[in-house]
Amino acid sequence: MDDQNLPDDETLVRRTQNGDTRAFDLLWQKYSPRIYSLIYNMTANHDDASDLLLEVFAKAYRSINGFRGKSSFYTWIHAIAVNMTINFVKKRGRRFQMSLDDLDANVQNDKEFIDLTSTNTPVREVDLAELQHRLNEAMMKLSVEHRAVVTMFDIQGMPHAEIAKILGIPEATVRSRLFYAHRQLQNYLEEFRKK
Amino acid sequence: MMLDEMQLKKLLRLKRLEQPPPGYFDRALSEFHRRQREELLRRSAIQIWFERFVSRMWGFRVPTYAYGAAFGAFVVAATIIGSGVWAPFTQTVETASDAPKTGSGSVGLNLDWSKFDRSPASPRVVPTLRPSQTALPRYVLDGRPASYEASFSF
Repeated sequence: MDDQNLPDDETLVRRTQNGDTRAFDLLWQKYSPRIYSLIYNMTANHDDASDLLLEVFAKAYRSINGFRGKSSFYTWIHAIAVNMTINFVKKRGRRFQMSLDDLDANVQNDKEFIDLTSTNTPVREVDLAELQHRLNEAMMKLSVEHRAVVTMFDIQGMPHAEIAKILGIPEATVRSRLFYAHRQLQNYLEEFRKK
Repeated sequence: MMLDEMQLKKLLRLKRLEQPPPGYFDRALSEFHRRQREELLRRSAIQIWFERFVSRMWGFRVPTYAYGAAFGAFVVAATIIGSGVWAPFTQTVETASDAPKTGSGSVGLNLDWSKFDRSPASPRVVPTLRPSQTALPRYVLDGRPASYEASFSF
């Protein structure tokens, strides 16, 4: 079933609460790619992201009877994912291996990619695969809280208010974290360009 | 030249294209189902019930009307007790005060209280001083036996 044709979240949640496991499968279908992307960009590891994705949905399934609909299901499951990933990354500490996949082959046809590389920009001066790798490294140098904000805002395109709700922090804190994270990323990438 | 804000944002947006291979999410859903089944077999019914109970308790919120209802119940109870329409301890007090006159307490039925020179349902046991035949007469001044006065007390 196409995402557009899926029933709304409220209906799916209510059906799941009444024991319809098929409804939860539809919620999975709708949200697993976004949740995966969120976890993946915070952990930088495909295997960890896969495990955490399953754990996040398992926890959501177990707790869904306590979901009262005060926030949207989207916010609720993102909050579970962010909290679990932050806990995981903090426990894992520095023991991580970069296993981010290479850029998808489709990237060569992406408009932003073409824009970014066609003009005379610092980006063009370096090998792009390498630059992507460096960007991932730079991301991993950010604190996990800053990485969460960058992932949700810059990669997933969420508005500040939604991020604030998910993290349970004021919107101003989201903005300041973003500002600080961007500054740090720019510095890391600049260092790489100079090498 | 440093990467400007816009270029950084474009670079970050490219990370959206880092997706798992096609069919990954279907396989992951199958794995999710397998783990769910495994978990159900591993855990006892009590564990599952307890987990759901805890989950419900976390989600439980006291409805706003409950505060109003509790206050209303308090006011009604306070009014009834305060107006004297109903007093929970009246009967006990009456029994205690009426008992000596009638001599019909449940305990008094089987005992001859005259032997003890005490009322059968006396609420408190008060020690009484009686002059013995052999003791010297004692005089009470100002509520205290004179013999209790210390000799150096002026």
